[in-house]
Amino acid sequence: MPFDPTALDTAFKSLAAYDWAADTAPFQMIDAAVIAAAADKALRADLEKRFGALLADGTSRAAKEYVCRKLMMIGTAASVPALAAFLGDTDNSHMARFALERIPGPEAGAALNKALGTVSDALKIGMMSSLASRRDLACVPVLTTLLKGPPLLAIPAANALGTIHSTEAIAALAAADPFAAEGVGEAVVNARLACAESLLAAGKRADALAIYQGLAKAAAGKPDAKAIELAATRGILACADAVAAAS
Amino acid sequence: MKKAQVSLASAATRREFLKLTATAGVATAAPYVITSKALGDATTPPASDRIVMGGIGIGNMGKGDQGAFLGRPDVQYVAVCDVRKKWREEGKARADDKYGNQDCAAYVDFRDLLARGDIDAVHIATPDHWHSIMTIAACRSGKDVYLQKPETLTLREGPLMVSAARRYGRVVSGGSQRVLGDYRGIVDPIWAGEIGNIRSIDISVGGPSMPCYLPAQTTPPDIDWDLWLGPAPWEPYNSGRCDGNYGTGGNSWRSYIDYSGGSLTDWGAHHFGGAIFAADLRELQPSKVTYFPASADGKTAAYVSVTYPNGTELFHNRPASLRPAASITHQGAIQIAGDGKPRAAKPVPRYRNGETSIYGDFIQCVKTRQRPFRDIESAVNTMTAPHMIAIGYRLERSLIWDRASQQFKNDEGANRLLDRARREPWSIS
Repeated sequence: MPFDPTALDTAFKSLAAYDWAADTAPFQMIDAAVIAAAADKALRADLEKRFGALLADGTSRAAKEYVCRKLMMIGTAASVPALAAFLGDTDNSHMARFALERIPGPEAGAALNKALGTVSDALKIGMMSSLASRRDLACVPVLTTLLKGPPLLAIPAANALGTIHSTEAIAALAAADPFAAEGVGEAVVNARLACAESLLAAGKRADALAIYQGLAKAAAGKPDAKAIELAATRGILACADAVAAAS
Repeated sequence: MKKAQVSLASAATRREFLKLTATAGVATAAPYVITSKALGDATTPPASDRIVMGGIGIGNMGKGDQGAFLGRPDVQYVAVCDVRKKWREEGKARADDKYGNQDCAAYVDFRDLLARGDIDAVHIATPDHWHSIMTIAACRSGKDVYLQKPETLTLREGPLMVSAARRYGRVVSGGSQRVLGDYRGIVDPIWAGEIGNIRSIDISVGGPSMPCYLPAQTTPPDIDWDLWLGPAPWEPYNSGRCDGNYGTGGNSWRSYIDYSGGSLTDWGAHHFGGAIFAADLRELQPSKVTYFPASADGKTAAYVSVTYPNGTELFHNRPASLRPAASITHQGAIQIAGDGKPRAAKPVPRYRNGETSIYGDFIQCVKTRQRPFRDIESAVNTMTAPHMIAIGYRLERSLIWDRASQQFKNDEGANRLLDRARREPWSIS
């Protein structure tokens, strides 16, 4: 459908009244507008303003979801406050993240970080996932604290630290117990292995080797840690391969 | 319900598991009796040499996959998992009928199946939005994986799945049985050098998936709807949203963007897989996406191509009038143009150990630890083409791909589409 600017008002009026059972054809013009906005800053700003107003207007969950999908594509810092307002809302938190996770810039990261400190434990897991996907360094201190807490949050914290794999994240994981109960140890090991792979890929062989050797040493002689020993040994060999390839 | 944690410790082999439980004095429900079936016979290997398998997502393609593995004497099939009661019970019944017992366990939640230390390998045939999470979890719990195509739903998922497979030394096979099964008519002559160097490839297959706006229906009692949705956005139940049939016209999950890449990645996994194999591009990823807008007169629809670093250009639904003369074709769906210049023949890769199916190839690799024909890395590489084409259609513009960084160059809008936020508590890492 080609974009027709004169049809936008009508399309947004339809979207404001939308719920899952309603006809979507009247507002599909908005899809075309979102595509056109990539090359039109004024249109983009106009759309963001309209979307923000809809989020604030008590529209249906279905309409909010549609808006978040579009802001995922074109949202900027200007849309962050309207989206962030839903991060603590059980029904809409995920879709707010759906947009915020993909919006570049510090504002979206700051909103997710702020929510990480305030939302329910169940929603914190989502914040960690999105912050990790963004490789947001600012969340590492909070993740480090969560890593020491109950498994519900320690496991996603370990996963996120492994994805972020900054120097501070690696240090936090190094201080965690690879044999911690209830799945935490498994997540810590996996995260450490992920960090080592990233270091090796970045040419930091000695740092990667230190992680692999640390895991191998921790697992040595433990009959239920053979998989860890195997993965660490495989990593050590990969480091040796990297040396051979470089020489 | 508290879920069993998928433990890295369970990555020990089945034999190690049995040894551990024996030495630890773990109580079992019944005394272990060595039966004649356990010892094997002329056609069935002893239990100690069989690959113990379970299946996750056991309707439609999962049913077919289960049948293929159940039919193998070197597989002991012990568990099924599905969020739908009907498919779960039917899957269990198929296994129980095969073995003449009631031993096949049935799970709603895949984490319970993966927590079993006695299972060596799983096959996964859920909707696509679950593939990466389940494959990574299976690798982390020490299972080898046969994963139905399309292996990925987003571009970010692929490298994480490959990393998990390599990190834990798992065999992970993609699941297009057709790539080697159906396209030999183009593969063999091309690998024999008969059409020379490939100039262009045209693939005709349906387009990308679409948004879903279906209304709410009452959720039936035999489906765990929240677990069906998993990492996808919450939406109300509608049978057309989750039906597993093979259509992409709006009456199955294959139609919709939250769960599938549409025909482009569904049948596309076969056609792109066959063409990319034929052109020996499985180790490469495209470096460029070109969007060709519809003609002003509306007579020509928009189409998209991807170009590989070696110069091969692969077109999706290019109008027939614009295509060069084909040197070789596959049922009209794949047309390949070569330059006709002499080119040395190369041996065509085959399934391992003389196996004639991709299922046998997978089982052989589970035994030998070799990489399968559709190893996850080549599957991921293959799927980058239709995923990039879908992004080209969605954004209606051309793109440049940097394989090293796994990012589009100078296009933050395109990079937003590399992945999507997963609904808590699901994530990939």
